[in-house]
Amino acid sequence: MNHSANTAENLFTPPPLAARDLSMTHGRRPVISALNLELPPGKVTAIVGPNGCGKSTLLNGLARVHAPASGAVLLDGKNIHSLPSREVARQLALLPQDNSAPEGLTVADLIRFGRQPHQGFLRRWTEQDQAILEQAILSADLAGLADRPLDTLSGGQRQRAWIAMSIAQQTPLLLLDEPTSALDLGHQIEVFELIRDLARQGKTVAMVVHDLVSASRYADHLIAMVDGQIIAQGAPSEILEPALIHQLYGVHCEIYRDPADGTPVLVNLRKCL
Amino acid sequence: MFQLVVRHRNLAAQLGLVVALTLAAVASLIFGTVAVPLDSLMDALAGQGNAIHRFVIHELRLPRVIAGALAGAAFALAGCLMQTVARNRLATPGIIGIDNAATAFAVASVVGTGISVAPPAMALLGAAVATALAFGLAGANGTRGYRFIIAGLGIGAIAGAITQVMLSRVAIDSANAAFPWTVGSLNARSTTAVITLAFGLVIGWVTALLLGRSLNTLQFSDPVAINLGTRLTRVRALSLACAVLLTGLAVAVAGPVGMVALLAPELARTLCRAGKVPLTASALAGAVFMVTADMAGRLVLAPLELPVGLITAIVGAPYLIWILVKPTSRSLT
Repeated sequence: MNHSANTAENLFTPPPLAARDLSMTHGRRPVISALNLELPPGKVTAIVGPNGCGKSTLLNGLARVHAPASGAVLLDGKNIHSLPSREVARQLALLPQDNSAPEGLTVADLIRFGRQPHQGFLRRWTEQDQAILEQAILSADLAGLADRPLDTLSGGQRQRAWIAMSIAQQTPLLLLDEPTSALDLGHQIEVFELIRDLARQGKTVAMVVHDLVSASRYADHLIAMVDGQIIAQGAPSEILEPALIHQLYGVHCEIYRDPADGTPVLVNLRKCL
Repeated sequence: MFQLVVRHRNLAAQLGLVVALTLAAVASLIFGTVAVPLDSLMDALAGQGNAIHRFVIHELRLPRVIAGALAGAAFALAGCLMQTVARNRLATPGIIGIDNAATAFAVASVVGTGISVAPPAMALLGAAVATALAFGLAGANGTRGYRFIIAGLGIGAIAGAITQVMLSRVAIDSANAAFPWTVGSLNARSTTAVITLAFGLVIGWVTALLLGRSLNTLQFSDPVAINLGTRLTRVRALSLACAVLLTGLAVAVAGPVGMVALLAPELARTLCRAGKVPLTASALAGAVFMVTADMAGRLVLAPLELPVGLITAIVGAPYLIWILVKPTSRSLT
């Protein structure tokens, strides 16, 4: 697959990413057991659930960061661990939670790393790489910040820079682990809208999100996890019911619809007695 | 002009270090108990002129400068590789105990414990054993985190003690023969060891450059490196193997001059731009450092000669403390 520099709308035809009977462990402790899942192509999927339910582990498993205890993650029908790592890196980008960077690294330096999976030992930086780099800077609204060291940016700008690196990686699949966890409301919305833009270009996106309301506002598909199992999945407006929220978090609530767009909104939250 | 320097900062840094190395080498050839003026030096290098000068340059100083530059480069490159792989600026061969173990093995063959393997091979073996032990003791974390360093500290201490025991048990002549090994000196180098080191340095340097891009991604967390297509296990194993090779062969030439491995990459990192592991610059800085330190050792208390290991320790220890107390956003872990 060879994506040209100026990717128009819907240029990606994402390869399917699926988990088959996937089990994962932390040391000896089972975290995910016999989980099956397929990410809907070209859509934004949000994975939600209480702390420790295994959602981050699942995301890392899907991105081949950790090997499964049993079962497999299939990228385009092939076991992801049997594929060359660089080839996977051209198909799938992961934005992990721990994204520390070396001191003094600039925004452009970071985004340039996104081109690495496309470069061989002899294939150096090309004009096409440069065009993609500049495009990524524009897409993530980072013009003017390109030469700034990452450690001088605000949290939101830094997160956009990391997303820009994934954009430069030009992968049809994008996985994000709590992309907005440390951001204030304004920056959260900025990042979520950027993610929506990417899905509009045809990318398959999966993200772990803590905030249920944001998840249902910005995702097309919701996956609810408890104890390493998927207990419900589907369109947010269809599956988000008080019963599900009780099952997930042990919390009572009522659900209203946002008058603007029909997004479910949780009100009158209270702890179960 | 300034823009040009900024854009090609790494190249500029490397050129600057090459110039510094040339100056240090020329100074080392000129100064000493017998001063060789610059024009006589040129004659002597061309094989002409004063017989004493020719002898001093060809037999004494030039081999010493070459040995120092090679050993310094090897130590520094090994240090840079290990720091990158362990993501810790303290994780250098000297601190992990590789130097000490290589020395202990080499001393074992020098003092005549019945082992008749050549010192360079023994040093290499010692380096490999220490690394394997440190790696094994660190457990599932491998080179990550403090376990690797603490395991290495212990191994280094034990290896140092073993060296002392061996030296105290043998006849004074044997102990004297082995002494340069224990302090780090360019006085005792053997030609074979230097030639072996030259080959090892070429192999290590080329391998490091081939791994360069993958090593650059190790500056991020594991998931980010994996995401960029880096094969972590393979890169770590190859880098460690290089570091072992370089350290073992350098110890065989110069003894345990571990501080070079700590200081030179630090200097290289300051000179080069962020985002790339300064492999070549580290090697060059190590060579400059070693040649300069050896010259200082010869001159400071002349005609008495201080071992180069002492000089690097005197300069290095305060620097180490400064790294620890310096307020920095760059993590030590």
